[in-house]
Amino acid sequence: MSANRWLATGNYFTTYQEEQRIFFTAIDRLLFAFFLAALFLWPFFVELDSKYMLVIDNILVAVIAVLGLNMVTGFAGLISVGHAAFVGVGAYTVACCARIIGDQHVLITHAWPLMILVSGFMGAIFGLVVGLPALRLKHLYLVMATLSFQMIFEWTIGFMDFFNQGQTIYVGRVVWFTGEVGRNEHYLFWYYALLTVVVICGFAVRNLLRTRYGRCLVAVRDNDRAADAMGMHPGFTKVYAFGLAGFLAGIAGSMHAYLYRGVGMESFTLHESIQYLAMTIVGGLGALTGSFFGPAAIKILDLQVESLAEWALNYLPSTMNLATALRPLSFGLVIVLFLMFEPRGIANWWRILRSYVKLWPFRY
Amino acid sequence: MPTLNVSDVTLTFGGLHALSSVNMEVKPGLITSIIGPNGAGKTSLLNCISGFYHPTRGEIQYGDNRLTHASPHQISNMGIARAFQNLELFRGLSVLDNLMLARHQKLNYNLIQAAVFFGKASRMEAENRAYVEDVIDFMELEPYRKSMVGNLSYGIQKRVEVARALTLAPKLILLDEPMAGMNIEEKEDIVRFILDIKNEWEITSVLVEHDLGVVMDISDEIYVLDFGEVIGSGRPDEVASNKKVIEAYIGEE
Repeated sequence: MSANRWLATGNYFTTYQEEQRIFFTAIDRLLFAFFLAALFLWPFFVELDSKYMLVIDNILVAVIAVLGLNMVTGFAGLISVGHAAFVGVGAYTVACCARIIGDQHVLITHAWPLMILVSGFMGAIFGLVVGLPALRLKHLYLVMATLSFQMIFEWTIGFMDFFNQGQTIYVGRVVWFTGEVGRNEHYLFWYYALLTVVVICGFAVRNLLRTRYGRCLVAVRDNDRAADAMGMHPGFTKVYAFGLAGFLAGIAGSMHAYLYRGVGMESFTLHESIQYLAMTIVGGLGALTGSFFGPAAIKILDLQVESLAEWALNYLPSTMNLATALRPLSFGLVIVLFLMFEPRGIANWWRILRSYVKLWPFRY
Repeated sequence: MPTLNVSDVTLTFGGLHALSSVNMEVKPGLITSIIGPNGAGKTSLLNCISGFYHPTRGEIQYGDNRLTHASPHQISNMGIARAFQNLELFRGLSVLDNLMLARHQKLNYNLIQAAVFFGKASRMEAENRAYVEDVIDFMELEPYRKSMVGNLSYGIQKRVEVARALTLAPKLILLDEPMAGMNIEEKEDIVRFILDIKNEWEITSVLVEHDLGVVMDISDEIYVLDFGEVIGSGRPDEVASNKKVIEAYIGEE
C-alpha cells in the first residue's frame, strides 16, 4: 500500500498493476471526474444557441474521427488522406439502410445504437481492405492507395442512383425513452450521445495504448524491421491500424448522419480528409490528448474566421465575400505555423502545462 | 537444446556472392563467434539465420525447424533472438515499452480484453512486466527504465538492444557487434553480460565482433569468414594459428 494516494509525493507503487493505472494520483482522477461531470451537466445551466450547439456536436464527431486517424497516422505513422471516405462509409451504411428499409424503420429510429455499431464494423471492414496495400507499400505510395480510395468513394457515391448521386438521403428522427427526439432538443440529445461515445472511445483507445495492440502500432512506425524481429507481422499490424481507424471513422460517420438527419456527399470529400489530417497535426500526432484538442481548435478557428468575415462585411462592398478567401487562408496558415513552430501540436502545450503545474511553485 | 545447422548456404545479390557454401554448426550452450574482415559476409550470415535474407541455396536448420524460408517474426517465435548492429530500437518509446514489445507474442489477450483492460489483459501485462524487470535487473538498466530510448547515450542504447533480444526469452541469441564503438569500460560490461547470458540464462550465443582480443577470450568456437567463405574454424587457439586466417587479417608475407 502506498502511503499517500493523493499526491505524486509518497505515492509508491508496490505492484505492477498499480503502475498500469491511467491516473496515478487520486487528485488526477478526481479532477477528471469533475471535468466529465461538468461536460455532462453544463447544458442544464447554460442555454446555448442551436448554431453553437451544432458546432460543439461537430467537434465531438470530429474527435471520434480524429481518434481513428491519430491511430493510423499518429501512432502507426501511415499517412491516410482518405479518412473522410471512411467516415463516409459509416454515414452511408446508415443511409443504405434508410434507402432499403425506409428512413422511418424501427431499426433506424429505435435501434440507432446498433446502427452506429454496425457502421463502425462496416468502416473497419473497408479500413482493412484499403489497408491491404500496406502489406507491400510504404510512405508516399501508401498515401496514393488511400487517396485512390477517397476518389473511388466519391465517384461511386456521385454516380450511383442508389446513393441518390450524392444528394441528401434522409434519415429519420430517433426515439429515446422519453419518446421521439424533437426538433428543439435534437442537438442537445446528440450532444449527450456523442459525448458518451467520445468518452467510451477515448478510454478504449487509452487502454489499447497500454497493451500490445497499441505498442505494436508505435513499433511499426519507429522501425518495422525490428518490429518484425520482435515477433509481430509488420504488414498485418499496419492493416490492423487501418481497420481500427476505419472502425472509429465509421462510428463518427453514422453519428454525423444522425446529427444532420441526412447523408450527403459534401461532408465526405477530399477537402474533409485534408481537414481531418490538419486536425490531427494541430492536435499532435501520436498523442491521445491531441485528438481532442485538434478538432476543437480547427472548428473554433473556423467559427472565428466566419464571424470576422461577417464583421468585415460592414466595411467592405457586399460583392466581396471575405469568408471564402479567409477560410482556406487561415486554415493553411495555422497548419504551416504548427508544422514550423510546434510540430508536436497542442498536445505538447498541454504536456508542458501539466509538468509546470506538477512542479509549481518550483521552476525545475 | 537444439543445434543450429547452417549447411551449404549461398547468398547472391546479382553477380555478387555475399556468402558461398557456408557451413556452420552452433552447438547448444556455447558462445560461437563469427569473425572476418569488413564485407566478409558476417552480417549477411546473421541476416540469413534471422530471416531478413533468404539464402539462394542451402539449408538452415534449428532443431526440427527449417529456417531457410521463414520470416523474422516466425524465427523469433522459434526461440532465436537478434540484437542489431546499427541500433534498431523503437526510438519514440521508453526502455520499458521497448522491452515490453519483445513480449508481444507472449501476451495473448484479445482486442476486446485490451480495450477494456480488466482481468486478463491487466494481469498478463503485469506478469510480463515482471519478466521484463528481471531483464532490466540483469542488464543494469534500472535508471533508464522510463526514459525515451532516443535520448539515451549510444552505449546504453546498445545495452537496451541486447536486453530487448534477451526479453524475447530465446534459446539462441544472435549478437551483431554488441561492442562496436564502445570504450573499454563499456566493453567490459558487455563481455560480462555475454558470459552471464551463457552461464546464468543458459542461452546459446552467436557473436559477431571485430575486437579480436575479446573474441579470443570468450568464444568457445570461432568461424572465420573472408569473401563469403569460411576459411577457418575451431577453438580460439586453433584459429589463431591457422595460416589462412593470419593471411586474411595480416596479409601474405
